[in-house]
Amino acid sequence: MKLKHRIYKLIDISGLQLFDPVARLFFREEPQVQIKRITQFIVIPILAFGLFLLVWQIMAPRHTTKSGEVPKPGRVLDAAKGIWTFHNREKEKSIAFIASSDEANKILDNAKNRLEEIESSLIPAQDETIANLEILEQEWRDKNISPKIKKAANIEYEINSKQNSLKTELEELAGSIKANDKNAKEELVLRLEKLELQKSKWKIELAELKGTISILESKKYPLLERAQRKKDRLEEEKQYLSVYIGILTKNRNSKVEELNKKLVDYSNSFYAAESTKVMSSAKRLVRQKTRIEKTSESQYSAAKTLPYQTLRSLLCVFTGFIIATIFAIPLGILCGLNKTFMCAFTPFIAIFKPVSPIVWLPIGLIVVGGFIPDPENNALLSIINKLPIFSSFDVNPAFLASAITVALCSLWPTLVNTALGVSSIDVDHLNVARVLNLRFRERLISVIIPSALPLIFAGLRISIGVGWMVLIAAELLASSEGIGKFVWDMFNNGSSDSFAQMFVVVFLVGGIGLLLDRIMIVFQRLVSFDETAPSV
Amino acid sequence: MSFLSISDVSVSFGVEDKKVEILNNINLDVAENEFVAIIGFSGSGKSTLISLLAGLQLPSYGEVALEGKPIVQPSPELGIMFQNYSLLPWLSVFENIELAVKKVFPSLTSIQRKTHIGKYIEMVNLTPAIDKKPSELSGGMRQRASLARTLSMEPKILLLDEPLSALDALTRSSIQDEILNIWEKEKRTVVMITNDVDEAVLMADRIVPLTIGPNASFGNDFNIPLKRPRNRTSLNSSPEYKKLKKEITKFMLNMNSENIKLNKKSISLPAVFEKSINEIGQEALIA
Repeated sequence: MKLKHRIYKLIDISGLQLFDPVARLFFREEPQVQIKRITQFIVIPILAFGLFLLVWQIMAPRHTTKSGEVPKPGRVLDAAKGIWTFHNREKEKSIAFIASSDEANKILDNAKNRLEEIESSLIPAQDETIANLEILEQEWRDKNISPKIKKAANIEYEINSKQNSLKTELEELAGSIKANDKNAKEELVLRLEKLELQKSKWKIELAELKGTISILESKKYPLLERAQRKKDRLEEEKQYLSVYIGILTKNRNSKVEELNKKLVDYSNSFYAAESTKVMSSAKRLVRQKTRIEKTSESQYSAAKTLPYQTLRSLLCVFTGFIIATIFAIPLGILCGLNKTFMCAFTPFIAIFKPVSPIVWLPIGLIVVGGFIPDPENNALLSIINKLPIFSSFDVNPAFLASAITVALCSLWPTLVNTALGVSSIDVDHLNVARVLNLRFRERLISVIIPSALPLIFAGLRISIGVGWMVLIAAELLASSEGIGKFVWDMFNNGSSDSFAQMFVVVFLVGGIGLLLDRIMIVFQRLVSFDETAPSV
Repeated sequence: MSFLSISDVSVSFGVEDKKVEILNNINLDVAENEFVAIIGFSGSGKSTLISLLAGLQLPSYGEVALEGKPIVQPSPELGIMFQNYSLLPWLSVFENIELAVKKVFPSLTSIQRKTHIGKYIEMVNLTPAIDKKPSELSGGMRQRASLARTLSMEPKILLLDEPLSALDALTRSSIQDEILNIWEKEKRTVVMITNDVDEAVLMADRIVPLTIGPNASFGNDFNIPLKRPRNRTSLNSSPEYKKLKKEITKFMLNMNSENIKLNKKSISLPAVFEKSINEIGQEALIA
């Protein structure tokens, strides 16, 4: 009995009210009501999403762009998997780079076996499949595509020949007209005008036909396409494995070992050196020592994968959000407490609130650039880069400018909500403070802030949503590493897969936004003292 | 010199031609440990009056003084208990009272404070709900918590602003009994605002009617010479109690009809007939 209610409460507080009916159904509490709620809040949304996927699946192939077909849901899922595989491979590579020789040898065998397998059996087998499918494709093309192309080409030819024959006909007619035959001349002009009209119509028709033909020609046999993609993936893996094996055989430890061997030689020759060569061999020895030191600290420079970019974006949004909160809450409290201050501050809120991140960002970049002229040797940046979480993300001026942009855009909802929360405190609560003769600080801490807290958190929730939305645009513009940069790279890259990867980003950004919102709802629930739940 | 005195007090809002007089030249003296009930129709300026006594509002003319010192600002000595509880909703019952006790008795050690708070929570029979938040309490329990908070400050004077008007009849009578019990145990000066004649007669030593506002002033007071401790059931059959109730009700009704004659704003009242206790008992049984 107690456990049951604890579970309900947990579901309520964790912001997962969606699963409340499931839990209640599990405990057999009014099953019919719960089933109705499950249908309403779980089954119907899932169905709606399914319908969306279906429409997508049907509509996508009908729209061909310069970057290829609009990817179907399956392609997007494949792209997501690809991104993840790439991320894992980069991780493997960086592990391989720092592995000890024993470990390296152990993994090396596996990698070599896999490479062998791919080279000798998987790729040839796939080539065979493709060859077979190409025959099938030819048949399919002959049966389904070629007749259509032929038909379209025929129509094209007919139109062209008709146009030509009419032209020659009129030319002949013109040649036969006598100089004083006014009627015939007028007749000719009329027919010429008609022909021009007809020509413009044909032009449109021909353009359409050309479009149809090119679409038909670019149509691929689905099975062949899939087989080719599979082969591409195998090729990719092959390439990865050869690089991986390269790293394993010549990783940090082996490099250091080699250098150490040389060091022994150098020191031997140093001690054996005659006075004329002492200085130069001593220098060589010292240089070798520093080289060893540097090598033993070196890391594999992994490519910036989407998971890495996502974490960096999250760090950036939190940095901006915290900067915004530090300013917004005290200012909001001041505005709420003091009418004069509120009046003084209103114009700033009114003017700066609607300013787009696109405007703040260049300003931020210039200001940050002004303060940090030399990012390599900047005291502030080196301090930030030594902080626990920041250290693995290489904070640069673009990161700071993006964070400041986020702060400037997400400041306002918190500020306005805090001011509202503070200024709309229940008069009764203030009377309590008056009766108790609470001093300003006591009143602030024990009455005003707790009373405004639910609204403050409502503001924070809006702020983080705004911040997340703004950040992607800011990163894209600042080309600060992060999700925005990833999208921009994909846009410029323009390979057939990059379109699908952009779709992956859409779902990723949406999912993270949802998650952030949920987290803020949980906080809001924890601080709100009235029974009414905040709107979902 | 009386303990609490209201002398020549007027309260008005607005300026010159739009001036609205709420209270007009009122005078009242309350002796120490006296229980005074101020009774009036709604809109007659009762809440303004209690705000004056609590120091939450200042009179336009005249002076309100406690022990000869004018009241100019609220203080824990003037223990007001608000009509709508005014408990801080994010604090538990204990914490609500603790906030007051910490401020009023800063020298108490944490153990002393705990016993102090516990005593007053016990006094209003709220010990089982000590750690509950106001939103988890019923109206009656909230009002008890509010009472405990006010009492815990050990004010010189207890100001009750229609404390029971938001409660249902049963809860109301039980809290009336509680307040009465507490008052009889720990004598203290009480000024209670109410619109309920029964409540006033049952609890007060003296009843002061407030005429219908605007421009309200005090009518003649009624002394209630009923013996204490008073008991609701035995009083109900006492002829003296009945007579007093009848007199005051009649006075209040007359005041309304005078108002009609004077073409002032009147308040329409439902037709009221006196019922015998037996009749009421029968009705209760049927219900």
